[in-house]
Amino acid sequence: MTDEPIVDVQKLVKVYPGGTRAVSDINFTVARGEFFGFLGPNGAGKTTTMKILATLLRKSSGRAIVAGYDVDRDPMSIRRSIGFAMQEVGLDDLAPGLDFLVLQGVLYGLSRREARSRAAELLELVGLTSVAGRKVGTYSGGMRRRVDLVAALMHNPPLLFLDEPTTGLDPQSRLALWEYLELLNGRGVTIFLTTQMMEEADRLCQRIAIIDEGQIVAEGSPRSLKEEVGGDVIRTTFGSDGREEEGAYSERAEPLVKERDYVTAVSSAGNSLTITVRDGSAAVPDLLRLLNENSIPVANLSMASPTLDDVFLKYTGRTIRAEEATGDETEQAMRPWLGLKRR
Amino acid sequence: MSILRETYYLYIRNLKVWIAQPMAVISPILTAALMFLVMGAPLRGVTQLPGFPSDDYNAYLTGMIIVMTIVFGGGDVAMAALTDILSGYFDKLLLAPINRFSILMGILLVAGTRALSQVVVIVLIATLLGVTFQGGLLGIAVVIVAATAFGIASACLGLIIALKTKSPQVTMSTWLLFMPLAFLTTAFMPKELLSGWFKVAVTINPVEYVLVGLRTIIIQGWQWETILPGLWALLAMMAVMGALTTWLFRRETA
Repeated sequence: MTDEPIVDVQKLVKVYPGGTRAVSDINFTVARGEFFGFLGPNGAGKTTTMKILATLLRKSSGRAIVAGYDVDRDPMSIRRSIGFAMQEVGLDDLAPGLDFLVLQGVLYGLSRREARSRAAELLELVGLTSVAGRKVGTYSGGMRRRVDLVAALMHNPPLLFLDEPTTGLDPQSRLALWEYLELLNGRGVTIFLTTQMMEEADRLCQRIAIIDEGQIVAEGSPRSLKEEVGGDVIRTTFGSDGREEEGAYSERAEPLVKERDYVTAVSSAGNSLTITVRDGSAAVPDLLRLLNENSIPVANLSMASPTLDDVFLKYTGRTIRAEEATGDETEQAMRPWLGLKRR
Repeated sequence: MSILRETYYLYIRNLKVWIAQPMAVISPILTAALMFLVMGAPLRGVTQLPGFPSDDYNAYLTGMIIVMTIVFGGGDVAMAALTDILSGYFDKLLLAPINRFSILMGILLVAGTRALSQVVVIVLIATLLGVTFQGGLLGIAVVIVAATAFGIASACLGLIIALKTKSPQVTMSTWLLFMPLAFLTTAFMPKELLSGWFKVAVTINPVEYVLVGLRTIIIQGWQWETILPGLWALLAMMAVMGALTTWLFRRETA
């Protein structure tokens, strides 16, 4: 049983009334205990997919099994097995944090006493014990995210859905949230998150799927995806002490560097070399030693790893940041009522 | 978890939301008191008109003030629900392994509670102003129960608009719809003193029958020929509104 994926999606399609094809025939699985991520720009279909899996939205066609249950046939069992922290944090602003969590627990079948002790424990975990009695409406953005996250954990679900959990957070709160998520995953909770942040997917996820325009364009571990793009890029600039002509050091260094087996490409330009290597962190010390032994003075050396940005660029031909933000589905749905056209 | 337990907890939660906003509690009651003040005394003279059914204008107004307060309360209940929908809290409830019907019941029971508390206060104010309820204590009880049921029906109408439009602006403008329902009645004048299109509108307005029924109990006592049409109108409104709301709610949360 444990070998079965906790999420199994086959040929999933979602067409909104009006014809927008938000999810277009996607297949993927999430293994039990895995930290899995959907990476993609706004409007890629991340939230739609997640809402279908969480039983908030009906699919148009395809098959989706979550925690062993079919989304069409047994939504109630799925609801019991998952926690879902949505993008638009839905909190009860007029209730104190503790009361909000206790009700959440009670609705998932806990007794009031169980819910109280569980809420206290979770508030402690995310450092909100001191504000437990304050109304949620008075919380800061970071605190709201945290209380929303623990609300999804009240019933101890084996599977956690997180839709852009750190969007809008300052770097410090983001880092704190990442640490909680790692802690949870370490305790055996399967986590499936969506993000537009390369850094987030890179740091947290064991495996990611890159989704664009309703389709999965690449899938794998962040490391393997980056390796597909190529190795690290090292740039060196040599000293110009006047004893040698401009470019002389580069000319001497190039053949030496080329002989190293980890180097895949070298190009020189004036006083500098650009070296592509398979594993940058291992190559740098060796390169420095080699240049030093040959009395080639290094004035500057920098290394850049390919990022998931490069991966996204490779598969879609665009960078994620260059995407014009089009707003999420909720905003899209709201637009007609605000007297605006759908974008 | 049983549907009753879910409903109970959601009811308590919605009740807390209502009480947490003191203005939402006080302002309808204040409005009701003001209506007695600004209309009761200055218009007292109309009781002298031939054919006016009561010699106490405050007594005549009591039915209208109850109906008006409660009709407008329907919009408030709908706004509270819409706030939850737009904030995303409603989605949290839909994610929970609970019956959808208990979510709706939690909303409507609070609508009933609000109407109940308001009508009790209005009856107290009227009594302080010297109104004698001709239907006696049983009459007062019937007025309170009917007004509570009417509050639930009004909330249903508000909820239909909120669920259908999901727009705070439209929902807040629900009073545009409630206005004619409340005013195209014999709120200020008995039907015998009305004329033209107004009289026609009053005749087809179901709220009018509820109003007349309530008022009859207050100013005349147990005159069943005018009370019964009110009862039927109330039951019909509850059935139609309740069915429509439940249907729409199921569709929106499927």
